[in-house]
Amino acid sequence: MIEVRNVTKTFKLSRQQKREMGSAFRGDSVDAVSGVSFACQPGRVFGLLGPNGAGKTTALRMIATTLRPTSGTVLVQGFDTVREPERVRASLGFLTGSTQLYDRLTPNELVRYYANLHGVPRGDYERRRAEVFQALDMNAYADRRIGKLSTGMKQKVSIARTMIHDPEVLVLDEATSGLDVLASRGIVDLIRRARDRGKTVLFSTHRMGEVDQLCDDLALIHRGRLLYDGTYDAFKREMQATSFEDEFIRRIEAAG
Amino acid sequence: MKTIATVFKKELIDSIRDRRTIVFMIIIPLLLFPLLFRVMSSIEKRQAQKQRVKTLRVALVDRGNAADFVSSMHGRSGLTLVDGVAADSVTAMIQSDSLDGAFVFAESFDQDVAANRSGRVDFYFKSTDDRDIVENRLRKPLDQYEKTLLAQRFNRLAIDSAVVDAVDVRAQNVASIEERVGKAVGGMLPYIFIIFCFMGAMYPAIDLGAGEKERGTMETLLTAPVNRFHILLGKFGVVVLSGLMSATVSIIGLYIGIKQTANIPPEFMDIIMKMLGWDTIILVLSLLLPLTIFFAGVLLSVSLSARSFKEAQSLISPLNVAIIVPAAIGLMPGIEMTYVTAVIPVLNVSLATKEILAGTIQTPHLIAVYVSLIGLALLSLYGSVWWFKRESTIFRT
Repeated sequence: MIEVRNVTKTFKLSRQQKREMGSAFRGDSVDAVSGVSFACQPGRVFGLLGPNGAGKTTALRMIATTLRPTSGTVLVQGFDTVREPERVRASLGFLTGSTQLYDRLTPNELVRYYANLHGVPRGDYERRRAEVFQALDMNAYADRRIGKLSTGMKQKVSIARTMIHDPEVLVLDEATSGLDVLASRGIVDLIRRARDRGKTVLFSTHRMGEVDQLCDDLALIHRGRLLYDGTYDAFKREMQATSFEDEFIRRIEAAG
Repeated sequence: MKTIATVFKKELIDSIRDRRTIVFMIIIPLLLFPLLFRVMSSIEKRQAQKQRVKTLRVALVDRGNAADFVSSMHGRSGLTLVDGVAADSVTAMIQSDSLDGAFVFAESFDQDVAANRSGRVDFYFKSTDDRDIVENRLRKPLDQYEKTLLAQRFNRLAIDSAVVDAVDVRAQNVASIEERVGKAVGGMLPYIFIIFCFMGAMYPAIDLGAGEKERGTMETLLTAPVNRFHILLGKFGVVVLSGLMSATVSIIGLYIGIKQTANIPPEFMDIIMKMLGWDTIILVLSLLLPLTIFFAGVLLSVSLSARSFKEAQSLISPLNVAIIVPAAIGLMPGIEMTYVTAVIPVLNVSLATKEILAGTIQTPHLIAVYVSLIGLALLSLYGSVWWFKRESTIFRT
């Protein structure tokens, strides 16, 4: 379970960053996330949606403990991200566009490395590796250097790295980015299976079709603030536009 | 400990698979000395041989007033006498290589010599290096002529040659050959070790800090449930190992280089080989270990603070000078190990190594060097941990 309680993240700006913000900008800092609260429940997929620069990645990094909230609290499986970061990370599988792989290792070596860092026992590792590599159809290139793989193959390796320790909580940002329809379907199936096994899944995407396929709960974030937090069914019931995509744009534009 | 070993093992595999690390860590240190020695030795040999066998063109500028000397020059092998050269054109002809040398005799030369006075002769030559082969070859007949004249004079005046050698100086240098070679050759060795140690540590430090940040693999690593200090120690281990490996390989390269150089006198060779013995090498490496930890701490701190691989490279390049200068000061004569120089990083290792190789190191000085190096190593480790734990450092790209 993930609980985000009234979280704000403020970044101090350097002189150069202030110049880049334009002459209209006043102040020394910006709030990338401002007073955001939501909860992701076990056995459900939570979709976090927002346009580029909305604060999604900052929020996800705070959940993954790589950033500390300026105020507010984040709990993962009941562990505070500031006070017990290692226990949080032990129960978390985290993937974003900025979590890259070592080009000079092979998928086997990389996944083994992360399994070791997570303290996965040898027997469990062999079983999990076989399961994940099979599900993602990775065995053909398991011993090839990652630097030589295609974008889609690399993304699969990232997902295998995220899931090798069988985490209770999965945070997946743009997990299907760069993948073809077949590969995307494989990942969607993997997420469904994780949900069915009672895992908490926080999922962020720009593909609106995947929201419909996967999400049980939904949050919309724009300019660091939460615009919506509720079930996907409730969102659909409240829609004023004809499609999900149109409703998403309508709400973002209405917020200004 | 298990985490540190896991990170260390992975970073080592990753580094070894990077061609640039291998070039800096093994290829350059291993091949530099054998190649340098071979090229230098063959160029020098060829040049010297050329000067030795070359027929020298010499002008004897006299007006029949140095008859004995001139006749002694005729028929000498390796010399061609050039006639008809005016005294005022000698300099220009030697500068333009039309002549290799010239002797210009004073008008009164023979008269002065006959009257037991000094006969003046101006000896012109062009020498631009220390070997002076041409100068020595031309001076030889002049010296022989002078020797003959002196013998004739002593004989004529019935004087014992000891009369002019009032003091018979027989210099006895009590410094052992080890000490002399140690101070001379030994000065170069620490310089080499230190430079290679830094160079070997430099590339992995940039790659494992700024390189990882730039490639986005650092954030992935930080999502693992491991203490950041342990991750840093794993990286530290690889940087230190690379530095020490590079220094060790440079010693092997030096050994090969010396072995293949033919014209080193055997007694010098024995001393140098004794210097490169295991006990000395281990003692020197024990000094290099804390120094390399200090280097690793500084390099990783700079690397982690940089936005990119390129920025790290440009920040670290000036540090090369900061290492070379104190290491080179250790080579200068008169700079000795004291309690002040013992605490100056780099210089202290340079001087201590020199003293170890010469067998003159004093234990209190050695202890001061170790204490200062260990202190600096811990300080630099603390500095890099501080940088690594900063949120703004990790996401500063």
